[in-house]
Parts: sequence; C-alpha cells; structure tokens
Amino acid sequence: MTKTHSIVRTMFVLLVAGLIVASYLAAQTVTSNKATSNKSQIALRIVAEGTTRGAVACARCHGFDGASDGSGAFPRLDGQSAQYLAEQLRHFASGARRNALMEPIAKGLKDDEIEAVSQYCASLHTLAFPSRPVSERVRDLGKQVAEVGDLSVRVQACESCHGPNGGGEPIAGVPYLSGQYSHYISVQIQMFRQGYRKSQQMFVPAHNISEQDIVAVAAYFEQASRPAVK
Amino acid sequence: MPQKLKEVDVVVIGVGFAGSILAKELAASGLKVVGLERGDSRHSVPDFQAPAIHDELKYSIRKGMMQDVTREAMTFRNGHKEVALPMRQWEAFLPGTGLGGCGVHWNGQAWRYHEEEFVYKTHIEQRYGKKILDPDLRIQDWGVTYQELEPYYDRFEYLLGVCGKAGNLNGKIEPGGNPLEAPRSREYPNPPMKEQYSGALFRKAALELGYHPFLQPSANTTRPYTNPEGLTLNPCAYCGFCERYGCEHFAKASPQTVILPVLMKNPNFELRTESQVLRINLDSTAKKATGVSYMDAQGREFEQPAALVLLTAFALNDVRMLLLSGIGKPYDPTTETGVVGRNYAYQTQSYVPTFLGEDVHLNSYMAGGASGTVIDDFSVDNFDHSSLGFIGGCYVLCGSTNARPVEFHPTPPGTPRWGSKWKDAVRRHYNHTAIFNLSGTSTAMRGNYLDLDPTYRDAWGLPLLRITFDFPDNDVRMSRFVTHKASEIARQMGAKIVVDSPRTGPFTTTSYQSTHNTGGAVIGADPSTSVVNRYCQSWDVPNVFVVGACNYPQNSSYNPTVTLGALIYWTADALKTRYLKRPGPLV
Repeated sequence: MTKTHSIVRTMFVLLVAGLIVASYLAAQTVTSNKATSNKSQIALRIVAEGTTRGAVACARCHGFDGASDGSGAFPRLDGQSAQYLAEQLRHFASGARRNALMEPIAKGLKDDEIEAVSQYCASLHTLAFPSRPVSERVRDLGKQVAEVGDLSVRVQACESCHGPNGGGEPIAGVPYLSGQYSHYISVQIQMFRQGYRKSQQMFVPAHNISEQDIVAVAAYFEQASRPAVK
Repeated sequence: MPQKLKEVDVVVIGVGFAGSILAKELAASGLKVVGLERGDSRHSVPDFQAPAIHDELKYSIRKGMMQDVTREAMTFRNGHKEVALPMRQWEAFLPGTGLGGCGVHWNGQAWRYHEEEFVYKTHIEQRYGKKILDPDLRIQDWGVTYQELEPYYDRFEYLLGVCGKAGNLNGKIEPGGNPLEAPRSREYPNPPMKEQYSGALFRKAALELGYHPFLQPSANTTRPYTNPEGLTLNPCAYCGFCERYGCEHFAKASPQTVILPVLMKNPNFELRTESQVLRINLDSTAKKATGVSYMDAQGREFEQPAALVLLTAFALNDVRMLLLSGIGKPYDPTTETGVVGRNYAYQTQSYVPTFLGEDVHLNSYMAGGASGTVIDDFSVDNFDHSSLGFIGGCYVLCGSTNARPVEFHPTPPGTPRWGSKWKDAVRRHYNHTAIFNLSGTSTAMRGNYLDLDPTYRDAWGLPLLRITFDFPDNDVRMSRFVTHKASEIARQMGAKIVVDSPRTGPFTTTSYQSTHNTGGAVIGADPSTSVVNRYCQSWDVPNVFVVGACNYPQNSSYNPTVTLGALIYWTADALKTRYLKRPGPLV
C-alpha cells in the first residue's frame, strides 16, 4: 500500500511541478518573442505528451524538471548543454549512439522539435536529489582524477574538457558532470571503454582509466555542485 | 673540488626529442645512459592540465616554459662591427627548457624537407648556374640524401602519429595531398586535421589562382592513435593553446606523450634534472671526450665520466657547448676559417593580415597548433627562379593556431595602439581577420655566425653565446616576391583590407618570428666546411655526437622538427649498427 501511495504522491508532485513550469513559461511568453514562445510550447508538449510519431513523453523517465528519478538509470538533463542534448538525440536517431529506449523516441522527433526540447531542458534548474554518501578517501581520489588526472594510466584531468568543477562547456557541447548521477557516469564511462558508445575524445581516457578511478570520479561528480543556469 | 661519479656508457646533454629518443634507443640496447637536463621534470599530468595551463599571461607573455633569461641568455648584434648586447627577455625566438625541451611547447607543424634541399648547392648551381648566388652566400650540401633519410622520416612520423594526406606516394601523385612534396614510402599514420573556415576560403581562392592547397601536416593527433612504442595519443580538442603551452589532452606529440614513458621505465636510464652541464671534458689529446662536468641545483659540481657523449641541447646551446668545450675550430668570418658557429641561419617569416569584413565569421579560436590550409607552390625551389634574381621561398599558410584574447587582436594599419578607437577596431576585426603565415628559407651567409661573447657571462660564470645575424639581401628579395603572391590570394578571397608586409631588415630580437634557429654545427662531407660528418659525429672528437637543427647547413621554408626526427633516428641507427661495434670515426 505504501508503494502505491508513494507512486501517487510522485505523480502528484510531477503534475504540480509541470503546472508550475507551464505557468512560468506561459508567463514568459508575454515578454519573449513569438518564435521563442512557440518553441517553448512545442517543447513542453513533447516533455509532457510526446509526439504522435512515436516519441514517448520525456517526463516519464526524466521528470518534468529534468532531474529524472535519482536512481542513475536515467541522466539528469536540467541545465545540460543544449548543443550536447541535441547532438545526442540526433545520435540516438541515427544509431551513432545505440540505445533501444532512446532510439524510437529520437526518431519520433523532427529537427526543430529536437532543438526545442534540448533548449527547454537546458533552461531548467532543479534542486538535486540528496547524493549518496561516499567515503572521504574515494571522494579525494575522485577529486584528484577530476582536477589533475592520473599519470600512472595516462589520463588527463576530466575538467580539462568538462570545465572547472565539471560544469561543462555548454556552447562547445561538452556536458556537465557535476551533480550528474554517479551510476549514470560510471555506466557511460564503461560504455566508452567497451566501445558501445563512440566518442573521439572519450575513447582513450575511458580506455586507460582504472576501475577504481571510475568509481571515484563518478562519486566525486555526483557530489559536486551543479552549474548555475545562465 | 668536483665529485667524480662512476663511469657510464652514455651521457646525454639535454632531454628533449633528440635526447629522449637517442637515450631510449641506446638504453634499450643495453647501455647505461644518464640524461642530464638543466630544467625541471614535467609531465602531461599534473603539469599541463587545464585550466592552469591556459594561462596566457604566464606562458605567452611571460614565456613560462622558456629558458630563464636571468641565468643564461644570448647576446646579439646585426653585424661583426657592432657590440652585441644580452637579450633580457625572449621575443624573436623562444628557447625552451625542462624535460621534453621545445618538444613540449611547439605547435606540431610536421613537414618533411625536399629532396633537393639535401643537395642544395649542387642543385641550385645545376639549375641556375653559380651566378644566381650573391657572393656572400654560403649554401652547401648535407652529405646525406633524402633517399637515405626517408625510412627515418617515416619512423619519426609514426612515432609522433603525424596527421596528413600523402600527395606523393613512392612517386605517384595522390589526390588530396601536397603534389609537390618529396616522395614518401607510405601514407601518413593519421588523417589530416579539420579545415578551418579561413582555410576553406583560402583553399577556394588558391585554387582559382591555379595553386595546390592542402591541409598542413600536423602532430596534433586527429584520432586515437597508438604509436610503435605502445603509447596512445588522444585526439586534439582544437583548444587553441598549443605553441608556448603543454598539451593537457595527450594530443600533441611531445617527448612526454610519444617516448619518455618508455624511456623512464628502462632501468638502464637515469634522468638527472636541474643539472647544468658546464663542459664536455676531453683527454690530453683533445681527440677523445672523457665525460662531462655539470652542476646540480645545490651548486655542487660533478664529473660524470662516459664513453660516449650525445649533445642534444637545442641548436644554440649545442654550438655554445662545443665552443665552451674546445671541440672543433671556431669560425672566423674575416678569414673564413674554422667551422663551429659557421652557417648560422634563421627563418624568413612574413605575414599577410587579411581583413575579411564583419559579415565573415571565422571563429579562429577553434584551432590546433598545426591546423591550417597551405600552399607549397612557392617553397624552397618549387618554382622557377631563373628570372627572379634570388633563391629560396616560403610556404603560404592560412589558418590560425589560436585566437587567444591577450595576444590576438588584429587591427588594420592606422589604428591607434590604445584607447577607445583601438578597442572599437579590435571588436570589428577580431573574428573577421585571417593572418597568412609565410615561413621562408634562410640562406647561410658569410657574416652570420655564432661565437662566444667576450663580455657577458651566465650565472655559472661561462661566456654567453653571441649571435651575429642579419637577413641576407637575397632573402629580403625572396620575401618581397612571395609575400606579394600571398597578398594576391588574400585579395582573391575578397578581403576588404590586405596588409602586404614582407620581411625587411634589419633583423630584430624584439618581435616574435620563429624559434627555428639553425646551423652552427653543420653536417657535411667536408671537415673544412662542417662540424659533424654525415652521421652527426664530431669530426674532431669521434665519441661526441651532436644532433640538432644546428646540423642544418642552411634553413628551409619548412619547420625543422620532423627533419630533425629523421636525423635522430638516422644517427641512432649509425650508433647501434656501426659505432657501438667499432667505436671510432664512422667516416
């Protein structure tokens, strides 16, 4: 019974959150130009309802606020680089990034819908779920690898590309890592490492990095504070 | 009283590309090798990591990776009647220091030389007759040919993972590459870099004018690449912090990324940093080196005996070390006798700032050190000089290595140098200006040479190196001709303003041009005009080998590193297969 209750409560919270977001966007349309408002409305509809061409509503997994469910099975998208999100959607659609869940969804989005929904997610800023406890030793190792790198395995600092504090380089399409769920980060590094996810830049570091470093950087970044949305 | 250390087989002076590769080859063949490096140890992690490495003030303006000018500099003058003065800050050229040497802070422009450059004198005189040469020019042949060096070029390129498209594979012209390059035995290890927008505009204009544009060969890696030493490089991120910086991404080929980790693991090798070599010691016959003397960071002097001494400390430092050690006869420009310091040459650089107007957005900050589109039509002897009255040429490169905010702010002539009008001009031109880089030959001349300064001394009390140099008139005429050709391409691109600025004399040390200082310990077949034989072995002291751009009898249009790499492996091979079996003169 408790479980049903909690699902109902979650649905209610999501619905309220959605309404708040919707009313916020509605309020915004007064001041912003028509093109932007159309874009936001398109985005909001996709987030809430999906498309008739097969895209399931984003909110189902990623929440209305983009924070997903905290399990790390789904990445948080709020405040993420719009360039990066759009590129990933295109990669899901083309099969360049293989993902059975995301492929039909991305294929169900037209190009302008990809742009709209990516920009919408980039504009969100949500409070994070409390991060999992992590030992000081693991956190310190993670910080070391993130900020300095690990010469013993020839891996450069994550932040050399992902920006100071892992805040990402939004215009260059480099995703933030800070505040991202550790489970998601470590799974993605494993994906790069094993060749399931392709990236010129991530191939070598993901291949060289030690298992211990993966756990540590993932834990470190989950705890790091999220970048402010500009 | 200097402390005498236990004898080793080999001592290497300077651990950059040349030192680390030679040390690696000899240590792997079982010899005990000591590497003496005057600077600090440094590695990709942690020393080159962002954001600290992207500090323009520290590295570009204050030259954070360069030799400490307060301890050791050079003196300079334009002609032998002037009094040379010491350089107090680096501007014209940037001699590096520290583990990895200049291989850390280079851009990665990875060119081969042409076949005829190795037989330059023979070739020029055959093609044009002796009359084309001004009487004071002193060009000469290398004593080693391109065909002999080709396998070693190949080996160095595969070590670095050079990125490019072959234009001439075993004599067959390949589409997409440089049709004018010397024949290569196989394709480049990696594909070329991405073309910048300015390069694409340049390519179109150059094609319209009948030239042969291609993407510059680069040692900024373009895909994950594992070199023959088993070390993996990461692709370049086009961050625009290459020259004057270390690379945080393991993407730029440097000793740290392509060879040092292998060398460091070999127990036969010992690295001693902060070790300032004072001289190479000779025995009483002065025909055999007994080792080197050096001072450590505590100011203690050591004598390191060694059976073989490898001098790999950058062109200028190599020549100075020979002079300080009394190896070879110093060159005298008045009598034209002696060889050490002879044929010092440089690089005849010029630029064509091309202002394209505010509707053309170049985004030049998306750049690698060696990204760019280039034509080779006016390099060295790729065009007919018979009616031109000079020899040599330049490659013409359009592309940016960076658009870093502190250094890069092109403004058209007539703009005030500060104030609101300057700011306004920077705003209007920053993202809309391409700057062509013309890298030109430097012809050796009788009066250009290196010797020891009679007045100024370094922190260890030893005489500084004195540089006597000015641009030969031949090179000034050459620069004028090729720069005009480049300006035509700029106009063809539809530029609003083209600044045709050929190199003119006198040479000045106060504006950056190039760190391609060459000559002074020249390679050759004749001991009366060269310091080392065709295996980079000292004619006078056969257990001393000198490997550096100081070996070049004159300077090419092209950046010197890859040719140096060929000489390094060529010398390593001669040492391993011939010298070690029977130590003594190889020629």
